[in-house]
Amino acid sequence: MTELKIKEIKTLRYERPVIEKGYANQTLYINLSDSEISTKPVSEKMKDIFVGGKGFDLWLLWNAVKGTTKWNDPENAICIACGPLGGTPIYPGSGKSIVTSISATTGSVMDSNVGGYFGPYLKFSGFDALEIQGKTDIPTVVFIDGISQQIQILEVTGLPEEAYEISEILTDHFGQGKPRNISVVSTGPGAKHSLIGCLNFSWFDAKRSKARLKQAGRGGLGSVFADKGLTAVVARWDTVTVAMNNPADETALREVAKLHSQEIVEQDPKQNQMSSVGTAHLVTIMNDYDLLPTHNFRYGQHTDAPKMGMEVYRGLFDKGYDGCWVGCTLACAHGIKDFTPSTGPYMGKKVFVDGPEYETIAGCGSNIGVFDPLHAVEMNFYCDTYGLDSISVGTGIAFAMECFEMGLINKTHTGGMDLSFGNGQAALELVHQIARGDGFGTIVGQGVRRMKHIFSTDFSANRAIMEDIGMEAKGLEFSEYMPKESLAQQGGYGLALKGPQHDEAWLIFLDMVHNFMPTFEQKAEALHWFPMFRTWFGLCGLCKLPWNDVVPPDNKQTKEPAKVIKHVEWYTKYFNAVTGRKLNPDDLITMSERVYNFQKIFNLKMGFGRREHDAIPYRAMGPVTTEEYESRQERYDGQLKDMYKIDIDGKETTEKVKILRKLREQRYEELKDAVYKRRGWTQDGIPTIETVKRLGIDFSDVIDVLKANGVA
Amino acid sequence: MVRISDKEFPWHENLTITDLLKELDDPYPYTVARINNKTVPGHDFSKARVPDNSEVFLIPLIAGG
Repeated sequence: MTELKIKEIKTLRYERPVIEKGYANQTLYINLSDSEISTKPVSEKMKDIFVGGKGFDLWLLWNAVKGTTKWNDPENAICIACGPLGGTPIYPGSGKSIVTSISATTGSVMDSNVGGYFGPYLKFSGFDALEIQGKTDIPTVVFIDGISQQIQILEVTGLPEEAYEISEILTDHFGQGKPRNISVVSTGPGAKHSLIGCLNFSWFDAKRSKARLKQAGRGGLGSVFADKGLTAVVARWDTVTVAMNNPADETALREVAKLHSQEIVEQDPKQNQMSSVGTAHLVTIMNDYDLLPTHNFRYGQHTDAPKMGMEVYRGLFDKGYDGCWVGCTLACAHGIKDFTPSTGPYMGKKVFVDGPEYETIAGCGSNIGVFDPLHAVEMNFYCDTYGLDSISVGTGIAFAMECFEMGLINKTHTGGMDLSFGNGQAALELVHQIARGDGFGTIVGQGVRRMKHIFSTDFSANRAIMEDIGMEAKGLEFSEYMPKESLAQQGGYGLALKGPQHDEAWLIFLDMVHNFMPTFEQKAEALHWFPMFRTWFGLCGLCKLPWNDVVPPDNKQTKEPAKVIKHVEWYTKYFNAVTGRKLNPDDLITMSERVYNFQKIFNLKMGFGRREHDAIPYRAMGPVTTEEYESRQERYDGQLKDMYKIDIDGKETTEKVKILRKLREQRYEELKDAVYKRRGWTQDGIPTIETVKRLGIDFSDVIDVLKANGVA
Repeated sequence: MVRISDKEFPWHENLTITDLLKELDDPYPYTVARINNKTVPGHDFSKARVPDNSEVFLIPLIAGG
């Protein structure tokens, strides 16, 4: 390794403010183009309307960009924020950061949440949010030192490109003997050469003496980061205590934190076992219910799926505490030590791998037809260390593989690679190619939407079939749940503001398995409440897993078990205890509604956000091919006969596919109507003037955007 | 003996999760259970055999990612 050389470009010394009721009351602004470092005040109105976290990010980003701003324009900003509750060490899941930017893949607003210590360390250093604009040709590290009370823009040469190594070296360098004081945000070489780059956020694992990584994966935020010339952003802070947030009522905070924390300790081993296997427990459950994407979402089940089940990963995960934030009792960020990659630059070397989680196992495993648990671990490792979103990588390669199997592309396009489903070595080679910026990987690294364009224009592939099977919406690749048999989840994906990621709504079990919401109106109500409540976590700096991945023993006796109302009440107490406000549980939904509608209008400002942009590929709604239909013929025939009263006697499969398609597409449009109405939007999916006035977000520039979109 | 919802019941041959839910008199529509560390979907509750000295966990709802 070359010697690390650091040259100061700019330094700002500042006086660290005392955190008041969860807020530092200022944000940090960096412009890489002219090396500006400054602070911006946080007003009471900003707190009332945007709360913090994603809300602050969106407000800063809204003011930073124009409607014409592209992802790689200098004025695009990367905003990272925690939230008023973020950094509380005794309440489970209180260390999340939210990142927003104009996305490299969608061209509109992207948000992605991530664990690790950065957000809390940023706030305790004196800043509720960080906004980085501009671009530089110099390899740059931004160092936020809350202990010494100075911000530095540094030219740093001699660093490797890979995320684990960057994080280790910078943790060692800036930690000054106390590595736990450091959190590093970085990406990797894949982000430089693709549009699907992720950001890695570090947290120092004292027991294993390692900088561990969590990812803000979605929408190419790492690609924006790399395009700006940033190598890393480093935060340094000291010991974390409950008092750091200066909560309004520390006694009440301790009481409610103890309740939630203890419940997890008692109930998690009896329920989902997040603290021992994490989200890997979902693999076999999804497979059992035909929900595990296999072969580019053609199917939801495979006989080999149990080979990648939770017991396999339980045996692989290194035992020990895996909380990505201090004191979290759910502690689901598991990893594998001494893994030896079989390919690439780390071939034969022992490495630590953070993960895999369910999404990576499904995306880089079953969805590409590979059922080798160690292959998913290697895909996970290289995605992280190259700075690539493992969901977009998995869904993207799955799409390319199906195109290959359909003959839409062939070996002359793939550089000789056989991209048949199940070819795990080819998938790994594509990941290496993306990182190197060569071969067919450069095309895969553009994401599914651009692949469709390239395959049709350059390779003369049939565009219509690719529109049906290319699992992206709004330019973002689908995350890894099969939505075909759940209309509500089709809405959960298709109506999600940033694109098809399940963090807005995960309704498959409620809808498909439990049939708790048979009518359009009930589905619409769920597609109002759940996205709003899930948004709230991102405003506050919280992880949502402690909300509903473990539930109280008496939860099943409540009126709506899916909402886990006892936890909603605890979160309300938590918010009130820190901020001193006196809210009730319904207020949390209204808080989120403001930010949610603001983000919707932000999409409109960027030229998106209308009904047409909520379209999803037919593969997400039903069987595209006769092969898919016939694989579940009993189900589909039954629906046509019993649900739709269609006489199918004597009809060929191709005809039944067409009939079912028409019906399902119609139902999706009816769902849109119901959801838009429930949310107070026009039938074009745009918030009405009444809605923005009710929510208090009727700023003049918001009204201008609505008027420009025909709403007055 | 087998254990479910912190209660113990005598084991017998061909014991299923459906049998245990009847014993518990718990009508909640569970969709997933775990026999020790092996998950069982709801549609297999009447088929999956519960071994002696097992613990059965009833997973309340699958919340998702």
